[in-house]
Amino acid sequence: MLVYIAKRVVYTLPTMLGVALVCFMLVHLAPSDPLVSVLPPDASENLKQQLMVLYGFDRPYWEQFVKWLWRALQGDLGTSIRTSRPVVLEVAKAVSNTLMLSALATAIGFLLGTFFGFVAGYFHDTWIDKVASAISVVGVSVPHYWLGMVLVIIFAATLGWLPPTGAGPGGSEAWKWDWEHVSHLILPAITMSVIPMGIIARTVRALVAELLSQEFMAGLRAKGLSELGIFRHVVKNVAPTALAVMGIQLGYLLGGSILIETVFAWPGTGLLLNDAIFQRDLPVLQGTILVLAMFFVVLNVAVDVLQTMLDPRVMRS
Amino acid sequence: MPADTAMPAPAAEINSGHRLLEVTSLVKHFPIKSGLFGRAGAVVRAVDGVSFAVDAGETLGIVGESGCGKSTTARLIMHLIAPDSGSVRLFGKAAGTLDLPMKTYRSRVQMVFQDSYASLNPRMTIEDSIAYGPMVHGVGSGEAIRRARQLLDRVGLDPARFAGRYPHELSGGQRQRVNIARALALEPRMLLLDEAVSALDKSVEAQVLNLLLDLKEEFGLTYIFISHDLEVVRFMADRVMVMYLGRVAEIGPTEALYTDCRHPYTQALLGSLLSMDPDRRTETAPLAGDPPNPIDPPSGCRFHTRCAFAEAMCSSRTPALEATNPGHEAACHMTDLASGHSKARQHSQEAAR
Amino acid sequence: MLKAAPADSSALISRSPGYWATVWRRFRRDPVAVGALAVILLLLFLAILAPWVAPQDPYYGVTLRRLRPPGTDGYPLGTDELGRDMLSRLIYGARLSLFMGVTPVFLALIVGSVIGMTAGYVGGLVNTLLMRTIDVFFAFPSVLLAIALSGALGAGIANGLISLTVVFIPPIARVAESVTTGVRSRDYVEAARASGAGAFSIIRHHVLGNVLGPIFVYGMSLIAVSMILASGLSFLGLGVKPPEPEWGLMLNTLRTAIYTQPLLCALPGVMIFLTSISFNMLTDGLRSAMDIKA
Repeated sequence: MLVYIAKRVVYTLPTMLGVALVCFMLVHLAPSDPLVSVLPPDASENLKQQLMVLYGFDRPYWEQFVKWLWRALQGDLGTSIRTSRPVVLEVAKAVSNTLMLSALATAIGFLLGTFFGFVAGYFHDTWIDKVASAISVVGVSVPHYWLGMVLVIIFAATLGWLPPTGAGPGGSEAWKWDWEHVSHLILPAITMSVIPMGIIARTVRALVAELLSQEFMAGLRAKGLSELGIFRHVVKNVAPTALAVMGIQLGYLLGGSILIETVFAWPGTGLLLNDAIFQRDLPVLQGTILVLAMFFVVLNVAVDVLQTMLDPRVMRS
Repeated sequence: MPADTAMPAPAAEINSGHRLLEVTSLVKHFPIKSGLFGRAGAVVRAVDGVSFAVDAGETLGIVGESGCGKSTTARLIMHLIAPDSGSVRLFGKAAGTLDLPMKTYRSRVQMVFQDSYASLNPRMTIEDSIAYGPMVHGVGSGEAIRRARQLLDRVGLDPARFAGRYPHELSGGQRQRVNIARALALEPRMLLLDEAVSALDKSVEAQVLNLLLDLKEEFGLTYIFISHDLEVVRFMADRVMVMYLGRVAEIGPTEALYTDCRHPYTQALLGSLLSMDPDRRTETAPLAGDPPNPIDPPSGCRFHTRCAFAEAMCSSRTPALEATNPGHEAACHMTDLASGHSKARQHSQEAAR
Repeated sequence: MLKAAPADSSALISRSPGYWATVWRRFRRDPVAVGALAVILLLLFLAILAPWVAPQDPYYGVTLRRLRPPGTDGYPLGTDELGRDMLSRLIYGARLSLFMGVTPVFLALIVGSVIGMTAGYVGGLVNTLLMRTIDVFFAFPSVLLAIALSGALGAGIANGLISLTVVFIPPIARVAESVTTGVRSRDYVEAARASGAGAFSIIRHHVLGNVLGPIFVYGMSLIAVSMILASGLSFLGLGVKPPEPEWGLMLNTLRTAIYTQPLLCALPGVMIFLTSISFNMLTDGLRSAMDIKA
C-alpha cells in the first residue's frame, strides 16, 4: 500500500513539471510583447531594452524557465504588472475566496447529487428514475453562467431576496460569517453546484443500479436482509467512488469558477484571471493558472490515494 | 491453391511420419513492469527451454496446469510473439527467412483460439471473416467468398443460413466451427488448437472433436492440441507432452504416457483424473496447491516443491529429458540411474519389469 | 470492407443487418433521442438558411427601439441593447455558436484519435511518451485550460477554436488509446496477424471498425460541453467579437439590461441550453443504441 502511494506520488512529478512548462509557455504564446501593458506606446527602444533585461526576457527560454521555476518553488511568482504587488499575495487571497465558494458548491452538489442518484438508481427504470435522471442531464447541460444570470433575475432583480453580486460590505477583506456576507455566497454557490450535482447523480445512479442488479443482492435479500440493511450495503459500496468524484469535481470547480465569478463579481481566482487577461497582466495570469493546475494535480493524487485506502481493490498497477 | 506459389509442397512433405515441425530450445521470458525502485529485470519465465518435434499427420497433445506455458508455446510457434532464443522450423526451414517467408509460414500453420467470440471480429460477417485470410494472401474476393462458403458447409454450417450472420448471432459451438473454417481457409499443413474446445459444453465439444478428426483425415492435417483436459487429449492425441512451469516434464506416446508415466507430475495429474474410477485407484496423492510463481521458479527440478518423492538433490540439480523407452522421455532424477536419487534404482527396476 | 462476391449462391444467403443498421433501428425506437436529433437538425437548418429565415438584418439596429420586450409589434422576441431584432440575431447566432461549439470537437477528434490510436496500437515506449504528454494537459481543469489559452492568445474566432481544440484533444486521445489497446489485444486481431496480414490491413479491416464508433460517440458527448465552453469564452469577451451575433456574446452584452428586461436577457442562454441538452440526449440515445449485447 505504502509503495503504491509512493509510486503514485512520484509518477506525478513529471506531470507537475509538464504543467509548469505549459504555464510558462502561456506567456510566450501571447502574440504581443510581454511588456506591452507596462510600456507607454511611445516608449523608446532603449527603455524597452532596459525593461527586457530587468524582467529577464532577454535570456533564452530554457534559462527563463529554470529561473522562473526555481523562484516559483520558493514561493515567488513574480510581481503583478498591474498592481506591482507580489503575485503570490494576489493569488493567495483569491484562492481562499474561490475555495470557500467551490467547497460550499461541491457540498451542495454532493448532497443533491447523491440523493437524486440514489433515488434514480433505486427505482431503476421507473418514472422516478426518469425524473431524477432528467434533473442530472439538465445539470450537466445547463450553461452555468446563464443559470447564474437567471437566478439573479429571479432572486435578486425580481424578488429582491438576495444580493446579486459582490462579497458583501467591505468586499472579501471584511469577510464575516454573518447573513450580510453569507447571503452573497448563496446564489453563486447554488449556481456552481449544478454541474457536480449532475455528474455525481449520474455516477451514483449507475453504481446503485448495477449493484442492485447483481446476484449477490438477491442472495442478501433471500437471507432476509432488511431494506435498511441493503441500503447500508449499497452506501458502503458506492461511497468511495462518489467521494472520489466529488474530490475531482472540487478541482474542476476551482479551475472553472471564472465564468460564475464573473457573473457574480465574486472576488476569487476567476475575477483575478479575468482582470489579468484583459489588462494583459501576464505574471498574474501565469501564477494563477500554475497554482490552480497544481492544486488540481495534487487533489487528483489525494483522491486516488484516499480511494485506495477506502477500497484497496481500485489499486492500479 | 493460389497461396501456394511461394512454396509448392513436394509430395514428400505430405507423407505422414515425415518431420513437419521442429521446436528447439524455445525460451520466452516476459519482463515485468519494474516497481518504483527497480526490481528491474524481474521476468516471468513463461517458456524456458522447450524442445520437441511434430511429425506430419500426427496429433501432439500438450497438457499442463494454467500458467505452465502451453499457450505461450503456441503463440511462439505461430510467431505472434518473438522468442528470446530458440527456433521453430517447418520442413527444416526457419520462418521469416528467404526460404520460408513469414506470410507463407502463416498459410502453412494456423491457429484456433480458445475464446470463440473474441477471436471473431464482431463487425464482420462470418463469410468475410473466413475470406479475410485468403484475401490477404492475394486470392480474389469472389474466389475467397466462394471458398469461405464451401468451408462453412464443410464444418457443418449451412452457408445459406450462416454466411451473412454476425458472430454474436451464433452459439459458441457454431462460432468455433467458424474459427476452424477460418483457419482452414489458408489450406494449412498444421493446426494449433489452443484450448479450442475447452469453453464448449460437453456435448458440443464431442461434436467439434469429431469434426476435427474428420477434417484431419480429409485435409491431411497435423495437429498440436493444447488442453488442460486430460481425457480429451487422450482421445485426440497420438503423443502427449506434459509441461510444468515453462519446461517439458514428460513426452511420449499417448497410451504409454497414460498407463505408464515416468514423471511424478504426470502421475499426479493422472491421479486426479483416475481417482474417479474405483478400479484404477492409485496411491498417488493428488496435486496440492497452485503451481509456484513462474517469476521465481524453484531451483533444480521445478516440481520438487510439490513432489512426493523430492530429495535434497532435486532442489539443486536440474533433471534433463532422458529417454526411458524409445520415444518416451521424462525429466526426472528418478528415471536416471546415475542421478543419485534414492528411488532412482527402484523406479527403473519397476520399469524393467 | 470485404465485398461479397456475386457467386451463384448469393441470392440464397440470408443476411443479417449490419451493425450500424441495427444501431439505427434501436435508435429510432428512442423518442427522446429522436427528438433531440430533430432539435439539432432544426438548429442546423436555421443556421444554414439564416438569410432566408431571419425576418430582419441581425446587424441593423435602431437606437430608438432599444431593449423592447418580447412580443413587441414587428419584433416577436424584442430588441437588444442596440435595437437589433432579437429573433434574427438568435437565428444568425446559431451559425457561429454551432460552428464554435462543434468544430473544435471534430478537429480534436481527428488529432486525438490519431494520437490515441497510434499510442494504443504501437504500445511500448511510443505509448508512454505520447500518453505522458497527454497527461500534462489532462492535469488542467478544462475550463481553466480553455480560458488560459485563449486568454494568452487573445480574443478572436481562430484563437477560440485553437484553445478549445487543445482542450478536447487529451480526453479523446485517452479514450482512443484505451479502446485501441483493448481491441489490439483481442484474439481476432491476433488471428488476423496469424493469417499473415500486415499492420495496415489489420488496422483497416479489424481495428478501425471496432474503434471509431466508441471514439466518435465519446466525441459527440463532448459537443455539449464544447457548446457551453465556446459560448462561455465569448461571454467573457474572449471568443467571438462584437458585433457578430453569437449566443454567449449576446448574453454578455445584454447583462446590463438584467433589471429592465430580464426575460430578454435570458433568451440567448436558452438557445445554448437547448443545443447542449439536445446533444447530451442524442449521445445518451446513441450510446444505448450501440450497446448491443452479444
